[in-house]
Amino acid sequence: MHKSILSFVVVAPFLWACGASFPVPTQRMADAQSAERSALELGANNEPDAQLSLRLAQDQIAMAKTAINDGDNQRADSLLIRAKADAELAVVKARDKGAKIDVQKAVDDSAAQKATNAGQGAVK
Amino acid sequence: MKTIRSLGLLIVIAGAVGIAGCAAAVPPQDLVNARSAFARASTGPAQQLDPADLHTAKEQLDVAETSFTRDGDTQDTRDQAYLAVRKTELAEVRARTLASNQAKEGVVGAMHADEKNTVALTSAELGRTKTQLATQGVALQATGAALQDEKTRRELAEKRLAQAAADLAKFATVKQETRGMVITLSGSVLFASAKWDLLPEAQLRLNDVANALIKEDPLSKMVVEGHTDSQGGAAYNQDLSQHRAQAVRDYLVGRGIAGDRISAQGFGPTRSIADNNTAEGRANNRRVEIVVQPTTPAP
Repeated sequence: MHKSILSFVVVAPFLWACGASFPVPTQRMADAQSAERSALELGANNEPDAQLSLRLAQDQIAMAKTAINDGDNQRADSLLIRAKADAELAVVKARDKGAKIDVQKAVDDSAAQKATNAGQGAVK
Repeated sequence: MKTIRSLGLLIVIAGAVGIAGCAAAVPPQDLVNARSAFARASTGPAQQLDPADLHTAKEQLDVAETSFTRDGDTQDTRDQAYLAVRKTELAEVRARTLASNQAKEGVVGAMHADEKNTVALTSAELGRTKTQLATQGVALQATGAALQDEKTRRELAEKRLAQAAADLAKFATVKQETRGMVITLSGSVLFASAKWDLLPEAQLRLNDVANALIKEDPLSKMVVEGHTDSQGGAAYNQDLSQHRAQAVRDYLVGRGIAGDRISAQGFGPTRSIADNNTAEGRANNRRVEIVVQPTTPAP
């Protein structure tokens, strides 16, 4: 009996610290999900490299939700920070793909213009 | 016995501390990855193209290193290292994007410069062509005017020729041959027998001839040809015909026909036009012909 009381006295402050003092990371969740939506809107799902980062973000958001349900808000917070970093990486990867497409389009346009000028007998 | 127990406990504690020390010295895989990623990025394009994000990645790596130094391989250390990897990758990807954007701007800039250059060259060519066309137009106009002048001159010459022929027809035979207009004057009208001095009446006729020839095309050339019948020696007749042709030529020059337009040549009896066996034929053969050569057509 004495041992049980002693255990509660020792463990309770830690439980309080972990659960009660760490709030549900609502803002972190919103930030991570916002970054995830941005990645989706930029077509991260269509670019394999960006898709990998997006998938990591989504997995960690799901894990964070589980952690919140389990009352582990601090772990959820860490997971959401990681998820946001992955989602942001997916965003820049999707943008990079777009930039590469733009370069190729510019090269194609330039070649087409040269061909058109030559076809119309432009002076060289 | 108690001593042995205490010694055993000490060994266990020492072993535990030793193991703990070794564990603390081994960084988590996330931190190893973060260090490696940053080392790669800091020598790559991100250093030049995206130093701000690379700096953020370095700060994040420092946070992870501090966490590891202070707390060892904890979840927080791994989380911070994970973030350092992501931020490093983010700097690298943004650097690639910037490089792509710069490449695109280069291509587009070159394309615009090329287009501008082509427009300038084409405009210059157009200007040259316009100038050329204008020059050709002027030349064409000049050629047209020259052609018109030539046409007018020829019409005038033809009119003069017709008028001259009409005037001459009154006292001489006028024929149009391939060698030109041939005015034939009878020798008996112009000269006394065996003489080459012009008779007074001949001078009056030649005055009319001169007047008619002056109306002729001023560019045309004339040849005065002297002819005789076949009576007498050939050399004599040749000489006589030459003198008679020369006399007519000189008289016409004296009446205003340019000397360089008219020449004289004697043919003796070599170009008879009638029978020398009859008096009438011989009379016809004794003659002076003035050949007005046609003007060489302009090319």
